[in-house]
Amino acid sequence: MKKEEAPAQAVKGGLKFAVGMRDLGTLFGLTIIFVVFSWLSPVFLTAPNLINILQQSSINACIALGMTLVIVSGGIDLSVGPIAALAAVVSASLMVSGVPIPLAIMAALGVGALCGLFNGMLVAYAGLQPFIVTLGGLSLYRALALIYTDGNPVFGIPSEFRALTNGDLMGIPTPVIIVAVIALLCWIVLNKTPLGEYLMAVGGNQEAARIAGVPVALTKISSFVISGVLAGIAALILVGRLGAAEPTLGTLWELDAIAAAAIGGASLMGGKGSIVGTILGAIILGSLRNGLTLMNVQAFYQLLATGIIIIAAMLIDSATRKTG
Amino acid sequence: MTANTNNPVNSETVDASVDRLRLDGISKSFSGHVALDRVDLHVRAGEVHGLVGENGAGKSTLLNILSGVLAADSGSITIDGSPVNINSPLQARASGIAMIHQELQHVPELSVAQNMFLGRSVTRMGGTIVNRKHQERIALEVLATLDPDIDPSVPIRTLKVAQRQLIEIGRALMEDAKVIAMDEPTSSLTPAEFLRLARLIEELSSQGVSIIYVSHKMNEIFDVCSRATILRDGRNITVAQLAQTNAAGITASMVGRDLVEASHVSHASTVPVLKVSNLSRGKHVKNASLTLHKGEVLGIAGLVGAGRTELLRLIAGIDRPDGGSVQMHGNKIASNDPRAAIRAGMGLLPEERKRDGIIRERPVTSNVALPSFRFFSRWGLINRKKIADTSLQILREMNLRPLDIAKPIGTFSGGNQQKVIIGRWLAASADIMLFDEPTRGIDVGAKAEIYSLVEKLAADGKAIIVVSSEMSELMRLADRVLVMSEGSITGELQGDRINESAMLELAIANG
Repeated sequence: MKKEEAPAQAVKGGLKFAVGMRDLGTLFGLTIIFVVFSWLSPVFLTAPNLINILQQSSINACIALGMTLVIVSGGIDLSVGPIAALAAVVSASLMVSGVPIPLAIMAALGVGALCGLFNGMLVAYAGLQPFIVTLGGLSLYRALALIYTDGNPVFGIPSEFRALTNGDLMGIPTPVIIVAVIALLCWIVLNKTPLGEYLMAVGGNQEAARIAGVPVALTKISSFVISGVLAGIAALILVGRLGAAEPTLGTLWELDAIAAAAIGGASLMGGKGSIVGTILGAIILGSLRNGLTLMNVQAFYQLLATGIIIIAAMLIDSATRKTG
Repeated sequence: MTANTNNPVNSETVDASVDRLRLDGISKSFSGHVALDRVDLHVRAGEVHGLVGENGAGKSTLLNILSGVLAADSGSITIDGSPVNINSPLQARASGIAMIHQELQHVPELSVAQNMFLGRSVTRMGGTIVNRKHQERIALEVLATLDPDIDPSVPIRTLKVAQRQLIEIGRALMEDAKVIAMDEPTSSLTPAEFLRLARLIEELSSQGVSIIYVSHKMNEIFDVCSRATILRDGRNITVAQLAQTNAAGITASMVGRDLVEASHVSHASTVPVLKVSNLSRGKHVKNASLTLHKGEVLGIAGLVGAGRTELLRLIAGIDRPDGGSVQMHGNKIASNDPRAAIRAGMGLLPEERKRDGIIRERPVTSNVALPSFRFFSRWGLINRKKIADTSLQILREMNLRPLDIAKPIGTFSGGNQQKVIIGRWLAASADIMLFDEPTRGIDVGAKAEIYSLVEKLAADGKAIIVVSSEMSELMRLADRVLVMSEGSITGELQGDRINESAMLELAIANG
């Protein structure tokens, strides 16, 4: 399929921002959605609304980036929502009790990293299935968040912290900038570092990777830790926006994130995935919701549309893969 | 063999009335590329007919058309004089054509009987309940003549490859197959198992079953077949009467030129680089010790299941040994740590290339650099240009075809994938290489390339262990041969002593 461009790409290498055919496909899908909505609603294709879409997509994109790395390595992380909730309530209660904000932020990232480490160790050393481990984590971390707060939201987030996530830089909301930076970092990890190659090798053929000297356990653990840390960051963004930390936040985040990654070309069988694709996937889901809301479509039907888009994307994906 | 190699029509007179199977004028193209060009294949009742040619000659395509996996663009298939329409594997089986694939397709967890009846279960209560007992009874009956040791109720994964092949044959017999096509049936059989298969084939043919026998191994073709159809570049070259020709003649027709057999040159030094002491693992490897020298090619012979692959995996740190140690360049290597062995300069070419060797979807460059990404990185970032340059340099010399290192490795042929994995260890500067069945499933031309590559590596001072089930391969490559039997090393052969009878004798010795 990419026969002509491929050799050149390999020889040039460097920092060239290679966009694969699959990403172009995702971009095409996004374009169609944009064309349709801007035709249906005059408000859709305006700068404030586009920024709005990016902001609304930022939390899902953040989670989906970590999810992509986990999926590429052949795993799945169902526990991201509850990890975010636990990180949110721990960090929020620290802030409320007067702990300096940078420390509270570190605490959120630390909680995410620890949960990810726990998931990763169980997968890598105990040899359990990622699906089962993180399904357990899904209940476990949620329970910890609920027990820690006795089920009550944490209010009284300092305004200094809220200012961090509610500000903007030249009109671009801070959460969008934060997630853009994270996306760039994830792109570098996946495409430019040995860890990225290891993730794809382990997801593609774990046994062959092990025999070729890839540190399989470390690779898997890294993916879960990154996913956990990004869940912590997503939690901070949400807490800043809402001004409160609910122990029940993040419900069903894992499914949106998986959807964004899959639309973007990640294969749940492992070995394949794209950071650019995942970001586009998250924006597709975000603009769909935004557009349907603008048109006053009822929530039930929005859900229906989301489901249809996911399935249609996968059908197109599998059809083009066969012919390509 | 007829000398007239330009004429695609075979020159002998064929009486159509005795042909069990006739494929006439079969053509097939894949998006413009002609895979088969008016190919004929005529097989008589009870005949064992060889089908030979290099990889890419069209053998697999022809077999796939015969077994209904692919549809021919043109041409006809006749069985016992009446034309048949084969559009699916099911129709092929119903027409009496059974196919035994090189890579046996079984469901490992299901029982022998369940696998034999897959897709056509014996049922009761109106087709709702599978009658397992009845299936197992029939299976036992069929298998009794093939191998009475096989218990139809055990999971098929517990059986050896040779036994699983017998099960495929049994299944074919159960379906009253008139023609059984065997694609490289001995690629993972021992010489003894081959002899058993050869006897079975003889028996089947005496019962009137026709056999199409595809193999790269000339001695087998001459042992079991009476005639052979030779394909080259999708065309019939000739139909050889095997009694009237020899292996060199067939090979020359296959490749269109004479292959020169090189003689063995030793580059072995007396500098030991690898010392294995008393490695053991369960009943697979018992107290194995060996020393490998710089520039030496050490062969390991033995029957399948003798523990050769297991020994290599222990040396490379892939499995955990019960005891024993490995020393490289005088330093003890941590056991069960492939990364430690690789750091010390070891490289393993695994037997199961697809399962243990390649990352299919990743480009050649990533497969080459997999163990050495750290060396190709600066400040944590991979230097892709350096990887591309190194890969190109190594693989150009190895004659990788096509020389397109950005393509996924899964799109290359087996022989070329093998070159990439060897290239991986060259890029990692490994100086001790363990080759497990390096030419398994590879055609004659690529085989010769792998052989000269091994010789070149030895000349460059690499120390190499070659495990092989092909004794001719060991005679060609090895300076010294260790023979294993039932997990133990039963003997060492050198010089003239490296011959088939000596190897066989030690291979069946009690460990």
